Amino acid sequence: MNNERSMLSRLYPTTKFMITIALCLAAFIVPGYGFSYAVLPICMVLAYFAGSFKEFSNLAIKALLMIVVFIFILQSFFYPGHDILWSWGIFSIKREGVEFALFLTSKIVAVASAFILFFRITKVKDLVHSLEQIGLPSKVTYVILSTLQLIPEMKKLTLVIMDAQKTRGVETEGKLLVRMKAFLPTLSPLILGSVASTEERVLTLESRAFSANVKKSSIYTLEKTKYDRLVQILLIVLLAILIVWRVAL
Amino acid sequence: MSIITIKNLSYQYPISESDALKDVSVTIERGKLYALVGANGGGKTTLCNVIRGFIPHFYKGDLRGEVLIEGKDIREWGMGELSQKVGYVFQNPFTQISGVKDNVFEEIAFGLENLGMEPGLIREKVDQVIRMLEIDYLRDKNPFELSGGQKQRVALASIIVMEPDVLVIDEPTSQLDPKGTEEVFKIIELMKNKGKTIILVEHKIELIAEYADYIILLNEGEVAMQGSTREILTDERALTFGAALPQYSLFGMEMRRRGMDLGSIPLTEKEAIEAVKTWMKKGVNA
Ligand SMILES: Nc1ncnc2c1ncn2[C@@H]1O[C@H](COP(=O)(O)OP(=O)(O)OP(=O)(O)O)[C@@H](O)[C@H]1O
Ligand SMILES: [Mg+2]
Repeated sequence: MNNERSMLSRLYPTTKFMITIALCLAAFIVPGYGFSYAVLPICMVLAYFAGSFKEFSNLAIKALLMIVVFIFILQSFFYPGHDILWSWGIFSIKREGVEFALFLTSKIVAVASAFILFFRITKVKDLVHSLEQIGLPSKVTYVILSTLQLIPEMKKLTLVIMDAQKTRGVETEGKLLVRMKAFLPTLSPLILGSVASTEERVLTLESRAFSANVKKSSIYTLEKTKYDRLVQILLIVLLAILIVWRVAL
Repeated sequence: MSIITIKNLSYQYPISESDALKDVSVTIERGKLYALVGANGGGKTTLCNVIRGFIPHFYKGDLRGEVLIEGKDIREWGMGELSQKVGYVFQNPFTQISGVKDNVFEEIAFGLENLGMEPGLIREKVDQVIRMLEIDYLRDKNPFELSGGQKQRVALASIIVMEPDVLVIDEPTSQLDPKGTEEVFKIIELMKNKGKTIILVEHKIELIAEYADYIILLNEGEVAMQGSTREILTDERALTFGAALPQYSLFGMEMRRRGMDLGSIPLTEKEAIEAVKTWMKKGVNA
């Protein structure tokens, strides 16, 4: 385990999740769209302190840009309204549409950034561990963890199968259609192989007493530190201030 | 007292046409090392599955006859209970990882965690096993990213750490080089010296000659021969049932056939040298 991890990434998963929820709530409490959009840069700053600025920014911007542009075009042209800002033939942009698009996209940006941030700065292992502590059955957490571990394995396996098929003359490179055609035959060995190894996986788990009727223990530990407390209190106070301010307004 | 008693056991896999095991009767004594040998498809893995209870608890099919583990019928044992009694290392090392641990240390600890053992104690035991198997250099590696031989050793460690009374080990050295093979056999010997009962499927007959107490030879689902290692490996009939014999006993048999009887059939290199020495002395004296 890396001890040099920044303070933020060392927070307990539930604390990180509270940050995410607090950001989402704040986006809905503060009126207007300015703050909601600002959640993205806020998350970028947080990501920077957690040491994953680049990964976060790349992912968030790539994922959000498309959605935001798409919603803007759709809503500003097709949202029912009278206040026409600009028109071209039968198409016209209405103010109501733009306003709605601003509202919608700002909330989407806020919620999505907050959640992307959470999954960027929380290791799956930590998340699952904390879920187990809360009392999620180990069978459920096993499925989550093993699936997530399996994805990179499946990727590797796909490459191996594709290579094997390439040596047998199947075209796997080139245009999209060619590649799609090449992808289909990899599916059956991939799926069949996975099913076959599932059977053995069950036996492996059985050999390791997975179904033993006792409460499992764990040598992996995650500790809540005083920082977790501090951050949690801070978040609650901030939210409370926000609500009071909003109501008083 | 015998720890495992199998009487007139026959078994047919669910979708199969014929019996994979036919009228097998075997008694396993506590603290001894049994080698299961025979040609591919002889039923070795199937017999292991029965002893571990995967047949009939997981593979359904048709099981006839009697299988007693410590006097209790296999059908009455619970699967969880058996996991602490009989440890089973599979033939295929690639599927033998839990799939939820990202380092070898935790992978080995997985079984003990499932038994709810106290974390401090788990660490101690895992450390011990890692030292015993000399796999300290793998400790922090991702189990998915190990070579076949490394996986095989981690799989062995993961079972040994649970300290079952009986160890069933199916071809533990298929992915190992000669040095790795030698090391695994050292570990198996260590386990035997700790009083474990071991059932080992293995094709490397020279090593069996050196380490096994008894041999069970399976051929097409039937027990073709069984007895002490010496009995079986000095008996030419074993060859007709698809088993291999150590080169030293083949040598002894060949000598005998050519009228140069060594007096006994040697099993190991040491015995062979000994036998040839005495034989040569005799020759000189005569
Ligand atoms: N899951 C299964 N379903 C149906 N038949 C099976 C199954 N597993 C094995 N068999 C059959 O049972 C017979 C015995 O197989 P088994 O795997 O026990 O042989 P083995 O002695 O372990 O061989 P090897 O040396 O190749 O490991 C074979 O004929 C095989 O085809
Ligand atoms: Mg086998």
